[in-house]
Amino acid sequence: MVRLSPFISAFIPGLFQKSGVVRASPAAIGGKSQLDWMPPRLSALREYLEVLGVIAAVTIAGWFAPSGSYRAFGHIYLLAVIMLCLRVGRGPVLFAAIFSALAWNFVIIPPRLSFSVLDFEDGLILGTYFVVALIAGQLTARIRAQERSERLREQRATALFNLTRALTGARTMDDAVEAALRQADELFSAQTALLLPGESDRLVPHPASSFHLDELELNVAESARHEAREMGRFTTRHPRTGALHLPLLRAGSVLGVLVLRPPPAAALANPAQRELLRAFAAQVALLVEREHLRAASEREKLLAESDRLHRTLLDSVSHELKTPLAVLRSAAENLPKAEETRRADLAAEILTAASRLDRVVANLLNQTRLESGAVKPQPDWCDARDLISAARRGLGDALAGRPVRIEIPAEMPLFMADAPLMEQVITNLLHNAAQYTPAGSPLVVTAGVEAQKNRVFIAIADRGPGIPPKVRGQLFQKFRRGDETQGSGLGLGLSIVRGFMLAQGGDVVAENLPGLGACFTVFLPHTPHESVPIE
Amino acid sequence: MSPTATKPEVLVIDDENQIRRLLRFTLEDAGYAVREAETGHAGLVAAAHSPPDAVILDLGLPDLSGIEVLKRVREWSPLPVLILSVFGQEGSKIAALDAGADDYLTKPFGGGELLARLRALLRRVKPAEPANPVRFGTVEVDLVRRRVTKDGRKVKLTEKEYALLRLLVAHRDKVLTHRHILNELWGPKEAGQTHYLRIFMMRLRRKIEDEPDTPKFLQTESGIGYRLVSDAG
Repeated sequence: MVRLSPFISAFIPGLFQKSGVVRASPAAIGGKSQLDWMPPRLSALREYLEVLGVIAAVTIAGWFAPSGSYRAFGHIYLLAVIMLCLRVGRGPVLFAAIFSALAWNFVIIPPRLSFSVLDFEDGLILGTYFVVALIAGQLTARIRAQERSERLREQRATALFNLTRALTGARTMDDAVEAALRQADELFSAQTALLLPGESDRLVPHPASSFHLDELELNVAESARHEAREMGRFTTRHPRTGALHLPLLRAGSVLGVLVLRPPPAAALANPAQRELLRAFAAQVALLVEREHLRAASEREKLLAESDRLHRTLLDSVSHELKTPLAVLRSAAENLPKAEETRRADLAAEILTAASRLDRVVANLLNQTRLESGAVKPQPDWCDARDLISAARRGLGDALAGRPVRIEIPAEMPLFMADAPLMEQVITNLLHNAAQYTPAGSPLVVTAGVEAQKNRVFIAIADRGPGIPPKVRGQLFQKFRRGDETQGSGLGLGLSIVRGFMLAQGGDVVAENLPGLGACFTVFLPHTPHESVPIE
Repeated sequence: MSPTATKPEVLVIDDENQIRRLLRFTLEDAGYAVREAETGHAGLVAAAHSPPDAVILDLGLPDLSGIEVLKRVREWSPLPVLILSVFGQEGSKIAALDAGADDYLTKPFGGGELLARLRALLRRVKPAEPANPVRFGTVEVDLVRRRVTKDGRKVKLTEKEYALLRLLVAHRDKVLTHRHILNELWGPKEAGQTHYLRIFMMRLRRKIEDEPDTPKFLQTESGIGYRLVSDAG
């Protein structure tokens, strides 16, 4: 048996070996699984010829054997027929049984070269042989068919399992499609393409497709999509084309078409394989649908976000504009009839309201300029002290009562920046600090050079409560305010800071200084200027 | 100002009715005579017909750009022109100053600011008050003897520092563009070397200002130039 087994396994491709693989340990499931198209099967004629050859060979061997052993040849014929069963179909097996019985009788059973049988015993053996060969052949064929369908089922389960695993592992739709198509390529030993509706509602091949569809195939795919039925090869519609078109159906609508181009000689093996194809297409359909849903929810989210922005914009713009306007109006109305002592107060209120309005409008304009790309920095040499003092001057009363410490090293160099933009940046940072820290708490402004990084920085630190963790992520987004319940403003200040800094090739970072407060630092690239001529 | 003295006359060229009205109130209360023009063309005609003492010109006019009006005025008259502009127009402010405007104000502005600017412009034209020595804060600049003192003590200035201070003093309360100063001090070839100017301004502030980091007198006009504010207490 040991010596025989290579021979047997070569001769019996399915029964021992492959069933072993298919029923294998879980390790094998992860391995490659390949579903053949109907075997590059022996054609019927070849099978009959093979049968003819084998039986003829046994017969010729029997011719030269000692004539006394003719009965033993019955066993050899039986062996040959059963082995043939494992290779050829039912018809050739039947042929083998009949042909071998005749050959045995005619050639080997004495009298040789005659169909007549000498004695009753030989006739009995011949008759029994014929019936046994017939039954054994049919039984083996049936077992083989069962084994085959079993194998297909296993393969199908493994294939779908692998596909699902690949799909869930994929991060993006494109990755998933790529994975699915490569699996299909391998599983069906075919080239595959996925067609999805493009912009003009025509089907467009996905880039991961492994072959190029010509105009004809595209048209077949279009009709498969519109009629929601399989078309192309192996079907009744357009059977002459080279590929099979499977519509991806989900909930009654066609999401796309999966196109499969098997090797030219392949034939569709059996219903099980077609089932597998459909199951595969269903998985891909599921994938496409999932992507559609994801895109829809993404759009939904975007809409919600832009809706939120619009609402915030409307709410806060109307609030921020109307509050000072209301102050202006009522103060102006009261001014003529107010007592002398009140007038100065009213005038002060008008001024405060006006500067608040001014700031809101300036921020809105700046944000608009940023978004429309109208901010074109014109860098010139800037002096940090200059910028800071100009910003403080511009802020006026907003910093009233706050000690501002300025720490700038004497050797602080000039740096290239757009002065008005930088002044606005510092103004916004100072104003922001003033708004979110207790009245009267000090501010510290520092500046310096980071020589190793070739950049200069200006930092504005406060001694307030620091940046709350929940707003950190959206600190520099527009229309986001640190604490919605506290202070006023549009939530544009820091967004403008960031926009202006990025426009100048710089950046801004925010951090909490442990035990102190929040600190905003702006950075700008720096290269020292040429020397200034000595007088 | 006594009612009998001829009032200085200001021509206001602005298309916004309300701005013209408010300017009229402010200016008339301060003792100026006011004429109004709604468009650039009307303004040019009014100015040519009877030259005012000063022009307040809005940069955004419906018919002619403010700069165009300014250029046409400058073809025949050096009369002082104060530009009104809105926020974010640094480029056009500089263009206007380069085209011969004497100063600018950014809307919205306060009445006090406006009157201070106007006074500075008219002073330049009519140096009625004794121009020497010039005082601001505790600093005294004697332009004749080239001597600068602070709190009564002599301040040692280098040649260029003094030249810079003298230029600012001569145009006190009026903006001077970077280009203008560089041109005067270093000549036209160095008009782009703004870092010269910043370095010298830094040094000058250290000698003149009480708190060089928050200067009271030698003030920066971001993106435009410098101004010596002489009445800053």
